[in-house]
Order: sequence, then C-alpha cells, then structure tokens
Amino acid sequence: MTEPLIRIEGISKKFTGRDGTETTVFENLHFSVDPGEFVCLIGHSGCGKTTILNVLSGLDQTSSGYVFVGGREVNGPSLDRAVIFQSHALMPWLTVMGNIAFAVSSRWPEWDKDKVRAHCQQYIDLVNLTGSEKKRPAELSGGMKQRVGIARALSIQPKMLLMDEPFSALDALTRGVLQEEVLRICAETRQTVFMITHDVDEAILLADKIVLMTNGPYAKIAEIVVNTMPRSRTRHDLHKHPHYYRIRNHLIDFLVDRSKAFAGDAVNHDPRHPPLVTPGLDPAEAAASPAGKPLVAVK
Amino acid sequence: MSAFKDPFDASTSLTRGCSCGRHTDEAAHQADLASRTADSEALGNRVVEAAVMRALFPHDATRRRFLNAVGASTAMAAISTFFPLGMAKEAFAQSGNLEKTSLKVGFIPITCATPIIMSQPMGFYARQGLNVDVVKTAGWAVIRDKTLNKEYDAAHMLSPMPLAISLGVGSSPIPYTMPAVENINGQAITLAIKHKDKRDPKSWKGFKFAVPFDYSMHNYLLRYFLAEHGLDPDRDVQIRSVPPPEMVANLRADNIDGFLASDPVNQRAVYDGVGYIHTLTKDIWAGHPCCAFAASREFVTKMPNTYRALLKAIMEATAFASKQENRKQIAEAIAPANYLNQPVTVVEQVLTGTFADGLGNVRKDPNRIDFDPFPWHSFAIWIMTQMKRWGQLKGDVDYAKVAREVFLATDAMRLMKEVGMKPPTTTTKKFSVMGKEFDPAKPDAYLASFAIKR
Amino acid sequence: MSRLKSWGAPLLSLLILLGMIGVWHALTLPKTAAQTVDSEYAALVGAAAATGQKSAFPSPADFGRKIGEHLSDPFYDRGPNDKGIGIQLGYSIGRVLAGYLLAALVAVPLGFLIGMSPTVYRALDPFIQVLKPISPLAWMPLALFTLKDSAVSAIFVIFICSVWPMLINTAFGVASVRREWLNVARTLEVGSFRTAFRVILPAAAPTIMTGMRISISIAWLVIVAAEMLVGGTGIGYFVWNEWNNLSITNIMTAILAIGVVGMLLDLMMAKLTKLVTFPE
Repeated sequence: MTEPLIRIEGISKKFTGRDGTETTVFENLHFSVDPGEFVCLIGHSGCGKTTILNVLSGLDQTSSGYVFVGGREVNGPSLDRAVIFQSHALMPWLTVMGNIAFAVSSRWPEWDKDKVRAHCQQYIDLVNLTGSEKKRPAELSGGMKQRVGIARALSIQPKMLLMDEPFSALDALTRGVLQEEVLRICAETRQTVFMITHDVDEAILLADKIVLMTNGPYAKIAEIVVNTMPRSRTRHDLHKHPHYYRIRNHLIDFLVDRSKAFAGDAVNHDPRHPPLVTPGLDPAEAAASPAGKPLVAVK
Repeated sequence: MSAFKDPFDASTSLTRGCSCGRHTDEAAHQADLASRTADSEALGNRVVEAAVMRALFPHDATRRRFLNAVGASTAMAAISTFFPLGMAKEAFAQSGNLEKTSLKVGFIPITCATPIIMSQPMGFYARQGLNVDVVKTAGWAVIRDKTLNKEYDAAHMLSPMPLAISLGVGSSPIPYTMPAVENINGQAITLAIKHKDKRDPKSWKGFKFAVPFDYSMHNYLLRYFLAEHGLDPDRDVQIRSVPPPEMVANLRADNIDGFLASDPVNQRAVYDGVGYIHTLTKDIWAGHPCCAFAASREFVTKMPNTYRALLKAIMEATAFASKQENRKQIAEAIAPANYLNQPVTVVEQVLTGTFADGLGNVRKDPNRIDFDPFPWHSFAIWIMTQMKRWGQLKGDVDYAKVAREVFLATDAMRLMKEVGMKPPTTTTKKFSVMGKEFDPAKPDAYLASFAIKR
Repeated sequence: MSRLKSWGAPLLSLLILLGMIGVWHALTLPKTAAQTVDSEYAALVGAAAATGQKSAFPSPADFGRKIGEHLSDPFYDRGPNDKGIGIQLGYSIGRVLAGYLLAALVAVPLGFLIGMSPTVYRALDPFIQVLKPISPLAWMPLALFTLKDSAVSAIFVIFICSVWPMLINTAFGVASVRREWLNVARTLEVGSFRTAFRVILPAAAPTIMTGMRISISIAWLVIVAAEMLVGGTGIGYFVWNEWNNLSITNIMTAILAIGVVGMLLDLMMAKLTKLVTFPE
C-alpha cells in the first residue's frame, strides 16, 4: 500500500463570533488522499468545505489537528499544492500569458523569459487557449477564464491540485466541456486532485472517491463513497453504466435526508475511520469486490 | 544743539553761545574745531560717544550732574559695559571692504518706499558698490517674516514695526534697528465717493475703516484723529487691517467706507473714481514719520561696512527725493510694473503734491509727501505712547531706552552730513499733533491726558 | 445624423462661449457721458472718473488685446518684480511639481504601509483626519516661521495639501486589493516584496492614480493662493501684482492661464490613470 499524499488527522475549526460565542464548524475530521487519486468533497454550504480546502492549501489554519502532505506537516502555502479558485482569481491587469507567466516565474525564478514563455505556451495549448495568449481576462468568457486558472495551476507542476467549486459559476454547457477537459488532463498527467463541489453528477464523473460531509455546525465526515465505475467514463455515456443511478441515488439521498440527521445513526461511527461504502455495486457484487470487504481499513 | 557738542564736558555752558565762548554759537565752534582736528577718526568716535551720552541723558542738567559726580572717562567706561560703543565706532570707520555686495531688500509697493525703490533704477545702490535686488512683497507680516528669516538683508517697514518687533509685540522679540525714516507725511484719509457730503468726522459713526497694519502710523493717526473728534475708534467705528492693494477694491465694492492709507492707494481711489481725499495726514501732524528702512541688529553688527554703504545710498536717495524738482523724474522711475505698478500720473500727483482730490478740485500742496531720514527718538516715544494708549503694549516701558536702541539716530546724523543734508543736532524734539503738544520727556503725562484710551 | 452627433457638442460649446462674450460685450459698452470736470482735473484722473463714474469693467475686446499682448511676449524679464506670464507660470509649475512629487514620494509608500496594516491605519487615522481639512493658507505662517524660507515654505504648503488624497487613496486601494489575488500570490509562495510590486501595486494603481489626480488639482489651486500670500514669483504673485494695479484685464488673463494649465495638468493625470486602469 502506498503512503497517502495527504493525510488529515482530527482537524477542527472554531470561529469566535462578535458576541463572543464560539462556533465549531467541523471537528475531528480524518481522511486521506492517495497519489493519483481524484477525491471530491460534497456537503451543504456551511459545513466548512472551503475552509478544509484552504487548510489543505495552507491559506487557513485549523483550530486543532494536523494536515500532512507527503509526510510533512503543512504550515503554509506551497508551490506543491496549486489552487484553482472558484472565481478564477486572474489578475485583470495581466494577459493570459502574463497570468500564467507570473506563476511559472514564481515557481522557477531562475528561468529566463524565453523559457518561461515556452513553458506557459505548453499549458495554454493544453487547455485549448492557443491564440488567446495576449488577451486580458476582461476579454475572455467565464469558461476561458477558468481554463486560464487551470493552466496556471497546472503550469507550476504541483504535486496536487486543489479545486474549490471551479465550475460552479459557469453555465451548464461550458461546465460540461470543462469537466471533460479536466478528466482528460488528469488522465494524461495522473494528477492528484482534491475538489470541492456540490454537484453530484460532477462528483460521479470526476472522482475516484467522494467524501460526504454532514451539515454544520459540528460537521463530520459521514462516509466515503468509492466510485466503482471505470475511469474511462465520459459525460456522454456516464448514465448508461449500471452503477451510475445507484451511486447518484445514494448521494442525493444523503444530501437530502441523512446529512441533516446523521447524528442519530452515529452510534457505531468512528470518526477516525469513516466507513468506505460502495453503493454502485449490488450486494452480490459488493461481496465479490476486493473493494467491498476490508474497505474500512484501506490504509 | 549740535551733534558735535561734547556732552562729556561738564563745563559746557547751558546758556546760549558756544562751549568755549569764543564763537557766537555752537555750530561755529564746531566748524572751527572740525577744521582743526586732524584726526577725523577721533572726531568720529567722539561723535558716537556724544550721541550715546546724550541719548542716555537727554536732560542736559542731569547729564552734567552725572558727569560731575563720576568724571568723563569713568562715565565712558560705565556706558561701554552696556552699550557696544566699540562696535558702533567700528561701524563708522571709513575704511573697510564690503562684507557682501549682493543684497536683497524687501518693499511694499507704496510711495513711502520711494527712496528704497528709486535707489535701484536710479543707481544710488550701485554708486556704493552694492548690487541690490529690491523685491516686492505682499504684506507687512510677510515682509517681517522674510526679514526675520534673513531672506532680506534689510527691508521697508512701517516705522512702528521695528519697535514692535524689538518689544516682542505681535512676534517674538528680536533686536531690530531702524536707521532711517523713509518719508514724512504722504498719507491720507480717503472716503468712498458716496460719502462726499459727510465731511464732518462726527458723522462717521458706524463707518468701517481700513488701515494697512495694526502696528502702523496709519492706525495710530486714524485712531488719534477719530478720538480727537469724539469717536471711540474701538466702539464707534470698525478699524480693520487690510493690505494696501486690496483697499481700493474693497472701497469700490462698498466693503469699507474709507481708509487711512499710504499713497498711491489714495490717489488711485481718486483716479478710478471710487473715493475722495478727505484729509492729508500732514494736516493731522505736520512732519510725521511713516515708513522706515529697517534691518536686524545682527546685520548692522556683522556687516558694518555693507550696512553703512546701504544706509548711505538710502540717505542720498532721500536727499535727492526731498528736492521738489526731482520728483517727476522719480515718479517715472518707480511707476513701472517692476516697482509700484501704477499709472505714472498717479505716482506723480502724489510726489509733486499737485493732485486731483476726487471731488473735482485740483489741489496744490507741495508738502503732501516729503523725505527726511532722521529717526527722531521722540517719534519712537510718541509711537509707544499710542501703542500703550490702544492696549497693544502693556506694563511699564523704558521709552527712552527702547527709542535709542531701535531708532539709530547717531548713524543717521553722521551719514546725513556726509551726503550733504543738514542733520538736526538733537535726537528729541517737541511737536504737536492736531494742536496738542507732545513733550517726549513726559510720555506718561501725555498718555494720561487723553480722554479716550484703553 | 452621426455627423451631427460628433459636431453637436463642440458646436454648442462654441455657441455658449459666443453668447457669453456677447452678453459681456453688451454689459461693458462704454457709457457716453459728458466730462463733468475741467480738463486740468481730467488729465489727473482716469477716463471714468473724469465723467463722474467709477472705472468700468473691461470689455471682451480689452481682454482679447491683453491676451494678445501677453502671448506675443510671454517670457520677458524686466527685473525681479516684473516678468512675463510664461516665466511666472513656469515658476508656479516648478513649485507645484516639486511639492507634489515630494508628496507622492511620502504618500505612496506610507499609504502602502497603512493599507497593509490595520493597526497602523488605526494609529494614524486620527492624525490624518485632523490634518486633512486644514486650509493650505493656514500652514503658511507656520511654515514661514519654522522653515525660514519662503520658497521652501511654498513647496511645503503644496506638499502638505497634496499629500492627503494620495495617502488616503493609496491606503484605501491597498487595503481593498482582492483577497483572492493575494491568495494566488501566497499559494505561489511569492515573497512580500514581489507581492507588493507585482500584485498590490498594479491592483491598487487605479485608486492611487485617482488620488494623485485629485492631488494635482489641489496643488494647483493652492499654489496660486500661496504665491499671492508670499509674493516674489509665480502666477499667484502676478495676480497679486496686477490686483495692486487694479488691472482687471491682466487678472483675467492670469485666471484664464491658471484654468488652462490646471486643465492640462488634469488631462495629463487622466491619461496616466487610463494607462494603469484595467477592465474587470
């Protein structure tokens, strides 16, 4: 078994309100992400999804618990973990090339201009923005902006990619195109990705594992759903796979009912080892699957 | 009394005639003595000492008692301890190079500054080897600050200003000197043309008047004039300080009813048809001082030769200006934009005394303005009595001492003689203002005699 | 139609100008009045006073003639108190630029510091609030007294009056740089120096430039007043000197020149602002 790239141990986050009352957003979260794995985190707003991502990126700190990346504790942002922001966060005074070059020259300050340019071009081509190098963000559509965001994140060749609802601001059509693009790029680069979303279909399409969070405050990880569909899935034929509706129903069921009522069935719940479930398999398949049996102790 | 009369001589007769008795009067005696004194420098020293002695003891009887008691040389030594006699003598030494030849002298664009201004275009400064820039300045407060900041080496000031600066009234006290008066007379009370029927000052109740500065002869003369006519200058009228260039504009806009100001402001009001000349100040006090040439004591002591040359230029210019026949020529020299920036005719009317009065009459008064550099100590004392009268100066003042330290009569005497003027032989005199006599020996009694005061 | 649109506004401006000049001309038509005094007296006073009137406001023709006079010889120098309007404007612009650049040198770095640190902002805020509304001329006596030099004082007054809009705008611009841009820089491990110059400065530049544009207008307003007070040289002194001479035409020429230079300075700053502004 490989050492997970990210290991999260018992993190919690507390805010002190203006009136002095303390709110615990989430507590005692444990999970891990293996190299090359695509993990999605799903939950209702207010459960601290973005906070978890910011903790992973190093932009935010936990109130307690530890985050390890590659065996080292995280104590600040790092070029090893690239972030794709929900609002793309491009700098409007720079061109497409300029935005990416800013990242590249931050990663490799010793590179000369030509080398930076050539490197950037490679990633602009990767996200299909060839020809728009000299445009400024204001001249780009929402989808194109997010492509630049993806190219910027990938260009620094990070160990992992952190995505905070990257496609939520886009229209459905653009979103679909970009999702496929991410799927393609991840297949090409074997990139480790941790992504936050509230879109069930997006999670099923992209993720290898889907982490389900209960509602805040005191949000917890209810369970981790293993996507048992083959990785070669496309948006086009996703719904044709027999596992699809089972997983989908399971997720929607969770989001609609169980995310609220989770505290009730938490009697046997061990927060250190959230249960790994495989709703995509029918019970017989589940028994046969290697993933089905000892999944609780993946680690 | 002559400037050269030896006040250290206790035997000098106080009755008419000269000190030795061989001459008909002191002047003759002095002329004789001067011709015989080979060492002119010694004479110079004696003149300085004499002036100091006389300034300290203006009453001959007192001085003589003092000299009899201690002896002349002891008196000299005693005086030296508190008055820098050595320096004063040095300042008068004929020889010596100019410490500085490029100077800046500030002025306010009014005809009072005539000697200071004309010395530049007419070459009086150049004749003394000085290269002087005369710099037009926006107001009295600025000219004071720029002089205190040493941007100007010397400046045109209102004659009460060096007194006020030295006394620390309205600014922090800085030893200041006034080696020469610039002009005498030359001011006027001008009223708006709409008041042309209100010739009687008693009808001026409620008027708003402007004067150039709080510490100015204009302010004191206007207050004196009003008070003599039964108006309390603080209660019955308003007097405000307005820079001269703004006066005509304000008169035109009906913001003020009149002003007592320097020329050419009065004549300019007539020229533009907005006012008429009510009273020339020479009719309030004939021969009153107005503006002055002033320098810091530091300049006087650190650059004695430059100071002397500068003062000599001013004296020569003043002597030139005091002659009626030169006035037209001066008017032409100082009217352009670089100096007064006025129509030539306005300046000419002021200087020649043939002027339009604003009511359709042409008046001829050759003494409208005159030029006499002598800084009478009694002028300073009168000014201080008025400062006290109107509450600008509080507490006891050693009138004579301040007058002596600020109004440098000694230097003026000496230089006036050099440029061919006839200096007076004493530093104080009695004079009368609107018929009321002022005795410089009794300032407190004078002050007490006024009904309207603060 | 489109031709009318592009020419309409300038045409209207021109008509308004001509209208104003027309009214002005009509109001200043010379009144014909008989001379009321004898000719000896008339020779001594101005033309208006000779007919029993106050001197009149100049007509547009007088004004035009005076402008022509100044434009034909803007750089003459007849001694320290009489220089051409071009030289005077040069002095004023020089003073404004000196005080203004000095203010920018102080305001932009200090504003940066204030904008980055809420603590510094809170500590300096009361001082800024008290000092900001002080009239430029109120500083002048203090400056003359302490700096002991009128040229330096004038520059100081420009400095102290133009520093506030730049300081406040810089602080505001820096403080309101979008969190996400800073986060981008943080995740890229960009050093604070590089963040300041590559992220915060360009992000805050439009706000800073707006402050600088306000400041140059204030500086130009202040210089005229300051020079009227201190005298010596400059367009403010020119106005004062001509006021002294009650020469309304000269004063109006100076007013026009002040307006034109002020407009040019503002246009220049607007151009610069456009250069650093980015569409979002």
